[in-house]
Amino acid sequence: MIERRPFWLKALIAVAATVLALVSIGPAVWLIASSLQPPGTDLHSIAGKPTLANFASAWNDGGLGRPLINSVIVTALRATLNVLFAAAAAYPLARMKFAARNTVFVLLLCTLMVPEQVVLVPMFRIVVGLGLYDTLAAVILPFSVTAFGIFLCRQAFMQVPPSLEEAARIDGAGPLRIWWHVMLPLTAPTLATLALFSVIGAWSELLWPLIVLNSKSSLTLPVAVNTLLGVFAANARAAYAGAVLALIPIILIFLGLQRFMKPEMFGGAVKG
Amino acid sequence: MSAAKNTRDHHPLVPWAFLAPAAAVLGIFFLGAVLQVIYFSLTRYTAFTGPDYIGLENYRRLFASQRFWLCVGNSALYLTVTPAIIALSLGAAMVVDSLGRQGKWLRLLLFLPVITPTIVAGVSWRLILNEDSGLLNNFITSLGGHPIPWLSQHPWTLLSAMFVTLWKGFGFYMMVFLAGLLAVPKELIEAASLDGASRLSVFRHVTLPALMPSVVLVFIVSSISALKVFDELFVLARGTPVTQQTAVPLLYRIAFEEGDYGLACALGLTIFVFILAFSIVNLRLSSHSEKEAA
Repeated sequence: MIERRPFWLKALIAVAATVLALVSIGPAVWLIASSLQPPGTDLHSIAGKPTLANFASAWNDGGLGRPLINSVIVTALRATLNVLFAAAAAYPLARMKFAARNTVFVLLLCTLMVPEQVVLVPMFRIVVGLGLYDTLAAVILPFSVTAFGIFLCRQAFMQVPPSLEEAARIDGAGPLRIWWHVMLPLTAPTLATLALFSVIGAWSELLWPLIVLNSKSSLTLPVAVNTLLGVFAANARAAYAGAVLALIPIILIFLGLQRFMKPEMFGGAVKG
Repeated sequence: MSAAKNTRDHHPLVPWAFLAPAAAVLGIFFLGAVLQVIYFSLTRYTAFTGPDYIGLENYRRLFASQRFWLCVGNSALYLTVTPAIIALSLGAAMVVDSLGRQGKWLRLLLFLPVITPTIVAGVSWRLILNEDSGLLNNFITSLGGHPIPWLSQHPWTLLSAMFVTLWKGFGFYMMVFLAGLLAVPKELIEAASLDGASRLSVFRHVTLPALMPSVVLVFIVSSISALKVFDELFVLARGTPVTQQTAVPLLYRIAFEEGDYGLACALGLTIFVFILAFSIVNLRLSSHSEKEAA
């Protein structure tokens, strides 16, 4: 379809695109510029000579090294477990007949419908009861699989032609090998998308770690940056540096995996 | 568990072996919690004592407290962010879509707020919204306006948090609309414009009706997340009384600062009923209007 757009429409699109792009990246750019300004200068000016002094003070005095490692561990494990557990649970739901299948579906829909905020207190008590309070496991285990992830994988599995599975079965492959060698490779893009969603969620999470983590050595990065805001009231720029430190890794991961964040992945829910 | 009906291809326990890890995690942490939240809401249960069954006492206390109704009112106000989210994300999707292949780069940029952790977004926006000399108030005063107390006074604090919700969310919902746009039949648009329909009427009569399922989805998902907002207020409305915040910050206050678990569970279930009722009404209304349109 060759379509000639009138000038006013082209101009409107260009202006809108520019404004949207500026609003999207402006705050991060301003934050990074501010974090590079010398400590103790006017917070709302970026006229000074850039320095890494605030990063040194966030890292040394703010002790962000450990939270950074904790966040990497939590994020990596949560993404891995989310993909493994969801893909495993999705396989029988997509491909096998078994008793209580419908009951499993209903229970999954229940977990999909109830937001974590509603069950915050009992979840906290369960974590405490299992002796997980103030451990990284408290942040990893409860969210190591989600109903959303299971449904996402199930939808992808249902697109795999049954003939491929049949061929593997005739070759003597058992369910585990078919799952690992046929289903997972064929649905890799969906699994990557799920991993990316898990990474973004785990890296950013604030409310739950705030509740179940307490000691300095177990904090994740968002919670640690939050405490910096109070500790460094005198030098707010150190907190800005901490925030930049929490921002850079997720941007790098996103840029590396952005090809798995396609609009198509957001369409499934619409079609039901 | 029980014997499977169908054992043609697999041992009856095979499905359960695959389901086991997910079932354990969701069963222990989530379904267990769902059952407990109902029971706890009917008990006197604090950080130090209980749970002791007290019937509906927590609900009576909750509905009799003024701060509950103030927070519910603020949650209702917070819900008004959803029309803004729909308008902005739909607009952004149209712009990205109209750029063709180059739109990919803009799409990438507009997704950056989505991946920005809320604490980082909050710190950046606090800097910009700073009342004494932040960028925004500087701009307002340079136009001759009065500086606005974005971070200290109700309802400006609520508005600032809503703004961050909008900023962080629109890139995500834009993707939903872009997926919806992929499904709009291109022949239909072509045929309409060949028939001499103006751009506006093509949008109004072809594109928009085809996007209605996406609009409904975005409306429901974004209003649910507005009803359960916490992070944005935690960062932006820091230091303001909880009565100037919404339902989930109140739950956090009651549970983890006051240690009144029973009352917090009653509030949690009340929030759930609100969310459920709101979603059901919206689904009903939207399926109604779709039928009428057809």
